[in-house]
Amino acid sequence: MFMKKITVFLIMLQAISFTVKGQDENISNQLQDENKLKISGELLTDERFLLKENNEWAWNENRLTMKLEKRITEHSKFHGEIWMRNIGLPGPVASSDLYNKGIVDPYNLEIREANIQLYGFLTKNLDLKIGRQLIAWGTADKINPTSNLNPFDMEDVLDFGRQRGSDAIVANYYISGDFFLQGVYIPFFQPANLPLGIFANALNPEMTLSEGMTLKGFSDTLQMPAFNIGESSTAGFRFKGYTKGIDFSWSYVWGYDGLPVTKKNTFVPADLYGGVNINSRLSFMRAHIIGTDFATGIAGIGFWGEAAVFIPDKNLIMTNDLSALYPLSPEPVTRDTTLADKPYIRFIIGADYNFSDGSYLNVQYLNGFMHERGKNLDDYFFMRYEKRFFNDRLKIAPVGGAFIITDWSRINDNHAIAYIPQVSYNATPDIEITMSAAIFDGKGDNLFTNLKDYDMFMFRMKYNF
Amino acid sequence: MKVMIQKAVNTALVIAVSMLSVFSQDAGALLKKMDDVMFSPKDMTGKMRVVMIGKNGKQDIREALIQQKGTDKRMFRFTSPASQAGIAILSLPNDIMYLYLPAYGRERRIASSAKNQNFAGTDFSYDDMESKSYSEKYTPKLVNTEVKAYVLELTPKAASDYSKIVVRVNKTEYYPESMDFYDRGNNKIKTAAYTFKKADKYWNASEIEMTNLKTNRKTRMQTSDVKYDTGLTDDDFTVRKLKQL
Repeated sequence: MFMKKITVFLIMLQAISFTVKGQDENISNQLQDENKLKISGELLTDERFLLKENNEWAWNENRLTMKLEKRITEHSKFHGEIWMRNIGLPGPVASSDLYNKGIVDPYNLEIREANIQLYGFLTKNLDLKIGRQLIAWGTADKINPTSNLNPFDMEDVLDFGRQRGSDAIVANYYISGDFFLQGVYIPFFQPANLPLGIFANALNPEMTLSEGMTLKGFSDTLQMPAFNIGESSTAGFRFKGYTKGIDFSWSYVWGYDGLPVTKKNTFVPADLYGGVNINSRLSFMRAHIIGTDFATGIAGIGFWGEAAVFIPDKNLIMTNDLSALYPLSPEPVTRDTTLADKPYIRFIIGADYNFSDGSYLNVQYLNGFMHERGKNLDDYFFMRYEKRFFNDRLKIAPVGGAFIITDWSRINDNHAIAYIPQVSYNATPDIEITMSAAIFDGKGDNLFTNLKDYDMFMFRMKYNF
Repeated sequence: MKVMIQKAVNTALVIAVSMLSVFSQDAGALLKKMDDVMFSPKDMTGKMRVVMIGKNGKQDIREALIQQKGTDKRMFRFTSPASQAGIAILSLPNDIMYLYLPAYGRERRIASSAKNQNFAGTDFSYDDMESKSYSEKYTPKLVNTEVKAYVLELTPKAASDYSKIVVRVNKTEYYPESMDFYDRGNNKIKTAAYTFKKADKYWNASEIEMTNLKTNRKTRMQTSDVKYDTGLTDDDFTVRKLKQL
């Protein structure tokens, strides 16, 4: 009898241990699955040709994006994003260039992000993110005047607001569910990269010379900040919160403007007929940037706004050295402080609405694009209307683009328009084909007028995996 | 004689009003019982599979993880297809919604008019997905009693895309068996068929099949791995969590 009881007890114990072991294995397998390196990504083909005679190719890009995610522990994670690209058109100009694959078939590799995230570091309210990362500030759609930590990636001027990753340490301290404080430190300054190909001169203002002078040649020297802790680093903090139905933030950045400014132009006579060569010395401007933003909803309409005050660290004085032309020029040296000698504000406001028929409207007004400074801030009006059909498979945006006014007192001669209608179709849930056009027109010196000879058709195919 | 007729009419009126009141009270109690079945867990986590079936039978499948606390806090994170994986929506009280797009690395407050549209391309509206109790949103009326179900007609208390919803409530367990949705022109536009299964101590809608009568499309929303009352806190429904993939 006793033995029988022991046998029953042992069988029950074994049964329980099997059950517990089974559960443990399930949990262990689940954790192992969650902790595996996850690879996902995107293949993008982006081809554009000009609509004018000969239909020259304007853009060629094949981009493979690899996204890597690995949960290290319950409270830590690795994240990476790499772009591997063929971009641009073959550009050999001599037979020796045919030995260079980078010229024959231009390619590049870009580590967009590679960082470790630590949640609840030292205290449960502190999250840290260390490594290359994108630090997205602001509430507006794509164009964020308060987002000045990462360098601008202006390679494709039609991809408004794109930035590159920075090597940084970011700490977020959560005061409560509704408020947090963010501190950012970026040890090295990275300048913005300028537009490629046909867009190369889109951001360059017209150069005006004194009467009788003709530009024969131009060269420049770029002075980078010294690479030490004091000179090259950028720091910023932000207080973000939510109260009474409004998301808001206040921010401060002690950083650099990623686009260089001219400090000195040296004019050298090139001939006896007024021709000159100009040698420019460029450097990057330190600035205090104080920002604020908000987002809210009223009667179903989403509203947002951002403003950033740029306070140059030092008065920027551009010197024109005309001594080589003196006494033909009235003065040997002139000084110009019109670029950025006083604080200036870039701001944006916008709204969006979703209609019950599946359509969507988004409007924004921007004062000052990312390359504009001081008094030379233009007014931009952006608008996009799109409608979705067939379970969101087909998306048509008949209205999209921007309107610029550079001088309200002489609008007829100082305006521009970029009309960018678009049709997207999801051939499968993971393959999206987009066709669009970009039509530019305008007068005066501004971003889109500079592109008015480049109306183009654009084809994109995106595959997510 | 006149006085007698007057008394009879008054009595009949009182009885009629009383009966209406009893029906109305019964309808209210029935709807409350249905709400208790649908919304009694303190919190819920689970997986959701959304199968969208076109007129030609072609299927699109989306999968997501869902977390919910009470009736007004919800986190919805897509896991497939790859083009949507990582996109997350946080719904908070007072019509506040945030959308997180991993490609931009930032959360974005979305206009509450997004509720006007279908949820993620399905035949469910954001309103259908809302977990607010039906008693809060609708005034019920008992319109029929079938062998196995009560039939309630729900009229919205506030502005809505629907003029009414006709719901069949199971007589023994009080979960909804089906719902018919009527537009403002009183045309039946959608119908939902519910499959309830008991998970732990709660009844769970393991599948809802919504048929759009205008487009002849169907959406099946299936839940699995559902866990109730796991102790989710308000901290699990914050922008901080939204960005932690």
